[in-house]
Amino acid sequence: MSGDYGHDDHGHHASPWGPHDWSHGAPHNSFAPLIMSAGFALFLYGFANVFVGGEVADLGALSGVMLGLIIVTIGLLVWWRQDMTFDGVYEPKATGAPFRNIDIRKVSMWIFLMSEMMVFTSLFSTYIRYRLGIPNCNDVFLSGEWIEGTSVVCFEPAAHLIASSWFHLAPGAVNTFALIISSFTVVLALKTAKMSDKKYSDKYEVEMENVQAHRSRKVAVFLGATLFLATLFLTLKMIEWFVGFPTPGPLTNLNHGHSEIASLYTEGYRINADTYQHYAYDTSYHDGKDIPPDSALYSMMQAGTHPGGVMMADIRVGASTFFVTTGTHGVHVLAGMIGLAYMTLKGLRGGWGPSNAVTIEYFGLYWHFVDLVWVLVFPFFYLF
Amino acid sequence: MAHYTIFGKDPYWMNFWGLMILTAIEVAAVGVELGDTITMSILVGIAIPKFIMIAAIFMHLYGDADSKILTMTALFPAFFIIVMVFFIGLTSPGAATELPAWCRPSYWT
Repeated sequence: MSGDYGHDDHGHHASPWGPHDWSHGAPHNSFAPLIMSAGFALFLYGFANVFVGGEVADLGALSGVMLGLIIVTIGLLVWWRQDMTFDGVYEPKATGAPFRNIDIRKVSMWIFLMSEMMVFTSLFSTYIRYRLGIPNCNDVFLSGEWIEGTSVVCFEPAAHLIASSWFHLAPGAVNTFALIISSFTVVLALKTAKMSDKKYSDKYEVEMENVQAHRSRKVAVFLGATLFLATLFLTLKMIEWFVGFPTPGPLTNLNHGHSEIASLYTEGYRINADTYQHYAYDTSYHDGKDIPPDSALYSMMQAGTHPGGVMMADIRVGASTFFVTTGTHGVHVLAGMIGLAYMTLKGLRGGWGPSNAVTIEYFGLYWHFVDLVWVLVFPFFYLF
Repeated sequence: MAHYTIFGKDPYWMNFWGLMILTAIEVAAVGVELGDTITMSILVGIAIPKFIMIAAIFMHLYGDADSKILTMTALFPAFFIIVMVFFIGLTSPGAATELPAWCRPSYWT
């Protein structure tokens, strides 16, 4: 178990398909990442061709999607076969500068998170570019440079709908608190798992022989709470996107008199919305306010050169950036939930203790990163 | 795990409450109509410390033996992020509407 992992392992691969002989050192070379990269490339290429403008355009591309997923799965199995020996717990250290003597899994997780940062940066820079490069729908509306019945291209931030009332904002706000709490419950799981037998026994007044099972169950409770909060997060996101919810009766007035909080889908905020119409862009309603007297639209309507009416907008770019970015984040939450489900079950079976608590720490890095991304997504996609 | 305290208390506990309070201020700032510039300033002003608090304390980029090298690792993509956000995101005025045909979807005119 406690081998010297500092030297290389030339000649100790039983087979290129694994398993790797950890007792002779680490790290080892693997072609599994290449297989998975090819699978991901095929998956993304196929996926990009399946939908055009929100409609299924090429069912043939689905075969590419499925083949890509199969190749990724094969890559994962190869990787699993190479690294999972099922004969003990190994925590190999990195041997090369600048990460010498740091756990390989920790270094790997940080490098993975670096690549994840690049993914989200691409999405953020796209959002910034389009938000600043395409005229805002409200500005276009007030400029009067539109005619009822003809669609104009403009950028409609989802925040215009979401931050329009406390009720619309509620799912996103609750989700923000849920993710922060879930980050804390992961930390509590880690702290509990790392607690020595003696300390745990003293703190919770548990007999020494029962410490392992008791401590692992407690870890499972914290991980289960994290899983619950992650489920709440995705459920509220689905409500916000597709379902909506009723406004409690006495509070209807606070929702501009409406008895229901409409979902983004019901509001028409969709990735293929090229003829988007909303009461905010209706001269007879305009968000329940008067048209500002200092706007060009007001002057034109006063002078009789603009008949008013409802502006029709092509908001596909704005809606796409919102759904792709928040959807990508949602997929990360879903991936975390799969890991959490496994880890919770492992805890219920007595599998967590000080010897393997670092696994919770490394999962925690991923989970905190998901929280970190939301810290930026929430204000700039939901609030502003 | 952290081997330090914040105001004599458990750092994770303090960080958790700090994040909760900052988020409450964030949401409240949007509920109160303060104008775009002030609201944006508040949102950015709160997002930055929240980001640092999660990375430094929850992700152990502060206070651990390997925090320094892992912070450098985490900051490595910052160069590319700056290039993407500032030199692609905020410049190239025609990028949004004048993309060459080969990188636009076929339905986009």
